[in-house]
Amino acid sequence: TITGNFANVIHGLNANHLTDQVIQRSKRMILDTLGVGLLGTRTEVCHKVTQYSKIYSSDTSSTIWGHLDFQLPPLYAAFVNGVAVHSMDFDDTWHPATHPSGAILPAVIALSEAFPQKKKISGLDLLLAFNVGIEVQGRLLRFSSEARNIPKRFHPPTVVGTMGSAAACAKLLAFDRLKCKNTLAIAASYAGAPLANAATQTKPLHVGNAAKHGLEAACLASQGLQGNKQILDMESGIGAFYTDYNPQTLPNLQSYPWLLDQQDVAIKRFPAHLGTHWVADAASSVRRKLVESCDNLLPLDKIEKVILKVPEVKYVNRPSPTSEHEARHSFQFVACSALLDGSMSVQSFANENIHRPALRELLGKTQLEHPTDNTPSFESLYCEVIVTLRDGTTISDRCDTFYGHWRKPLKKEDLEKKFQSNASSVLPAEATERIIETVYNLEKVEDCSVL
Amino acid sequence: PEETVTSSFASFIHAVRPEHLSKIVRHRSKRMILDSIGVGLMGSTTHVFDLALQYCRELYSSVAVSSVYGKPGIKLSPTLAAFTNGVATHSMDFDDTWHPATHPSGAVLPALLAASQMIPPSTKPNGMDFLLAFNVGLEVQGRLMHFSTEAHNIPKRFHPPSVVGTMGSAAATAKLLSLSTAQCAHALGIAASLAGAPMANAATQAKPLHIGNATRLGFEAALLAARGMEANPLILDDIPGCSGFSAFYSVYQPKPLSTPSDHHEFLLEKQDIAFKRFPAHLGMHWVVDAALSVRNLFINYAGSFSPSLIRTIVLKIPVSKYINRPFPSSEHQARHSFQFNACTALLDGEVGLSSFTESSIHRQELRELLDKVVVEHPEDNIANFDKMYGEVALLLHSGDVLTGKCDTFYGHWRKPLSKESLLKKFCSNASHVLPEEKIQTIITMVDNLEDLSDSSQL
Repeated sequence: TITGNFANVIHGLNANHLTDQVIQRSKRMILDTLGVGLLGTRTEVCHKVTQYSKIYSSDTSSTIWGHLDFQLPPLYAAFVNGVAVHSMDFDDTWHPATHPSGAILPAVIALSEAFPQKKKISGLDLLLAFNVGIEVQGRLLRFSSEARNIPKRFHPPTVVGTMGSAAACAKLLAFDRLKCKNTLAIAASYAGAPLANAATQTKPLHVGNAAKHGLEAACLASQGLQGNKQILDMESGIGAFYTDYNPQTLPNLQSYPWLLDQQDVAIKRFPAHLGTHWVADAASSVRRKLVESCDNLLPLDKIEKVILKVPEVKYVNRPSPTSEHEARHSFQFVACSALLDGSMSVQSFANENIHRPALRELLGKTQLEHPTDNTPSFESLYCEVIVTLRDGTTISDRCDTFYGHWRKPLKKEDLEKKFQSNASSVLPAEATERIIETVYNLEKVEDCSVL
Repeated sequence: PEETVTSSFASFIHAVRPEHLSKIVRHRSKRMILDSIGVGLMGSTTHVFDLALQYCRELYSSVAVSSVYGKPGIKLSPTLAAFTNGVATHSMDFDDTWHPATHPSGAVLPALLAASQMIPPSTKPNGMDFLLAFNVGLEVQGRLMHFSTEAHNIPKRFHPPSVVGTMGSAAATAKLLSLSTAQCAHALGIAASLAGAPMANAATQAKPLHIGNATRLGFEAALLAARGMEANPLILDDIPGCSGFSAFYSVYQPKPLSTPSDHHEFLLEKQDIAFKRFPAHLGMHWVVDAALSVRNLFINYAGSFSPSLIRTIVLKIPVSKYINRPFPSSEHQARHSFQFNACTALLDGEVGLSSFTESSIHRQELRELLDKVVVEHPEDNIANFDKMYGEVALLLHSGDVLTGKCDTFYGHWRKPLSKESLLKKFCSNASHVLPEEKIQTIITMVDNLEDLSDSSQL
C-alpha cells in the first residue's frame, strides 16, 4: 500500500540520503523560519494563544522562541511557535502551494527539547527529521492536480502540514514502520481547515495546529493507538480533502530523490501573501520610472488610475482592507503601499500606515484585471502594474519572478539580513549571531537543544 | 445590513433562553444525557480510553479541575478531560445517533461537563443552563447538517461528528460560558478550522478520537474566542472562491437560523434520536433485529438452531463500504460489519457487549457461519438511517427459505427505547465502574436537571 510505502520511507531514510543541496536549502529554511517566528512572538495573535496555552503546564516542557521566562508542554510550545511563524504571513512558501517549514520546525524543536538527558538529539537528526517532514508534504501535494493552483477549499498547511509534522516527529522519535503508519493515520483525522479563515486572525492557528496535531498524532501512536493503515490510499482517507486524488508510492530509498532538490522554496521579503510579492516588485519599479520622469517626486495627485493585472485569487482581492490580516492579503494594498514608499517592509502593515489618507486615496483609484493567461499558480503567475496619469501618459512594468522566488532565490546576505532584522526584535545581537552559526553548522551540532 | 448566516447562528446561540425549550425537547435531551453518561462510563474500561488517558496525564497536570468518567481520583485540565471523556463515549460505538447522521451527544456533553467544573463557584451554571447549552449544541449540529443534501445519507468522505460535532461543541460551550454574540460567531469560525476528519479511520481504534477531538476542539475554540481570538465572520456563509464551512461538502446551501422568539422550534422536537442496544454501528441494528426474527422462525422449523442445515445466508443491505466486512479481525471492525452482527445474532440469539471480545470474534462456529454469507444490495435499500432496512434470508439445504426483515429496529427514533429499557442500558453500563448508589444518584439528577442548582455536581 502507499501508506505502508510512506511508512517504510519515513522509517528508512537516514542522514546519508541527504544531498548537499537539500542540506543547504533546508538550513536556509530553518534560519528564515526561526527569524520569522521570533518576530512573530510579538504579535497580538501570538499573545492570545500564549495566554491560552499557559493554562496547561507540566513537567516535560519546551520553550517559546525568544522567551526563556516560562515553559510549556511540547504540544503547546509547538502550537505557539507555529502560530508565531505564520502570524505575519512572513514564512516560506513552496510549489505546489503550502507553507512547509512552519508546520515542521516548531514541532521538531519542541520535541527535541523534551527528550530526556540521556537521549540527546544531534543537529543532523533534527535536519533529517525536518527534511522528512518537508518531503512528505511535497509528495502528498503531488497526489492531486488541485494542489498545483492557489487553493480554494482547504488551506494546504492544515492538510499536508499536519501530515508532514506527524512524519517528522515519527522520524525524530525513531518509530518502527507500524508506528509510522499509525502516526500518519491518526494525523489525518486532525487535518483540514477551510480557507475562509485566511486573512483573519485565526489563520496563523492553521500552522500552529498543524505542528501541534502532527506531534500529538505521534505521541498517541507511541502510546499504541492505531488508525487506518491505508489512510493515504483511500479516497475516504486523505483523499477526502481533494476532488481528484491519485496517490503514488515514494521512490526507492537507493539514492533518494528529494523534492527539495528539484524544487526550492520562496522566501518572503515582507510579511504578506506570496502573490503580493510580484505586485510589490512591479509597483516599485513603476514608481522608480515615475519619479525619474517627474523631477524625483512622486506625483500623487497626477495619478488618474492604477491597474493591476493579476491572477484571479478571491481571497487576496481586497480593495479596501481594514486590518493588518486583510492588508497582508490584498493585491491592491501592497501595490499602493509600494508605489507610495518605494518598497515594502514589516512597517508597511502597521495600523497607522494601513489607514494613511494618501494610501486610501490611491486605493480608491486602483482596479484589478484578470488576464486569462495569468494562471493562479505560484509557478506561473505574473503581475503588471499600469499607472495612468491625468495627462494620459502611462507608466508600466511587469514582474514575472520576484526576488525571493525559487527562480531568483535570496542571496545569503539578504537571507541573513532578514533573519537579523526579525530576530533582533526579541534577541540580543550575540544570540542572533550564534543562531546563524549553529544553523549553518547544523550537521555537526551534537546536541541540538542548544538551538 | 442583511444578516449573514453566520451571524444568525451567533445571535441564536447568544439569545436563546431556557424558556425556549419545549417539554419534548427537554425530555428527549435528558434521555440523551443519561445514555451518554452511561456509555461514557462503560467506555472508560476500554483500551483506547486507557491510551487517551495515559497520553493526557503524561503531558499535562495543572489546572486539573475536570473529572474523568469512571476514574474518581483523577482530574485533568478541562479540554483534556473533555477529550478523554469524548473518546470514552465513542470507544465502543455505543452512543446515540441522529438523522441526518451524526453522533450528537458525545460531541457536546463532555465539553459541558468539563466546562461546568472549570467555571468559578460564584458563576456556576445551574441545571437549566446546562440543559439549554446542551440543546444549543444539538441544534447547531442539526441545522448545519441540513445545509447539505449529502448529509442525509450515511457518510462517505468526512465523519460527521468531526465536522458538525466540533461546531456543536463550540456553540454549546460558548453558550455555557455566556459569550457575547460576536464571540459566539468567532467561536464557530475558529472551530471550523479545527473540524473535519476523513471517514477512513472509522472502524479503527482512532475513530473514538473523532468525538474526543470534536468535543475538545470545539471547547478550545470557545475558550480562544473568549480570549478575544477572531475568525472569519462569514464562516458559515457561502463565499464563492474561498471555502468556509462549505469546504466539507460538495453541495452547500446555508440558511439563517431564526432568532428565538417565543416559538423557536428545536430540531430535536421534530426528529428524535436513536439509542443503541448494543455497541456497534447503527446500521447493524437492523440486520440484528431481522436475524433474530428469522432465527425464531428457524428454531420453530427445526427445533433448535442447527447451522449445518443452512446452505447460504443472504443479507439484503444498503451500499456502504465501511460497514461491509465479511471477515472482521478486530473489535473495531466487528462493530462495523453487517455480516458479523447478523451471524452473531443468529448464533447467540442476542448481541451484547461480550459479542465483541477477542474470543467471541474468532469463534470457529461464527467463522463457519460467516463463510456462508452472501451480500445483496437491493436498489430500494438506501444508505440512509431514516429509510434503510435489513433483511436476512436463510437458504436451507432442504430447499426451504426462511426470511426475517426489519424496517425499524427497537431503539430507532420511530420505535424509541422505553424508559425502562433506557435505564436498564444505563445501569448495565454504569455498573461496570460505579457503585449502586452513585448510579441511582445520577439517574435522579439527570431526571431533575432543570432543578439542579449547580450543574458541576453532575
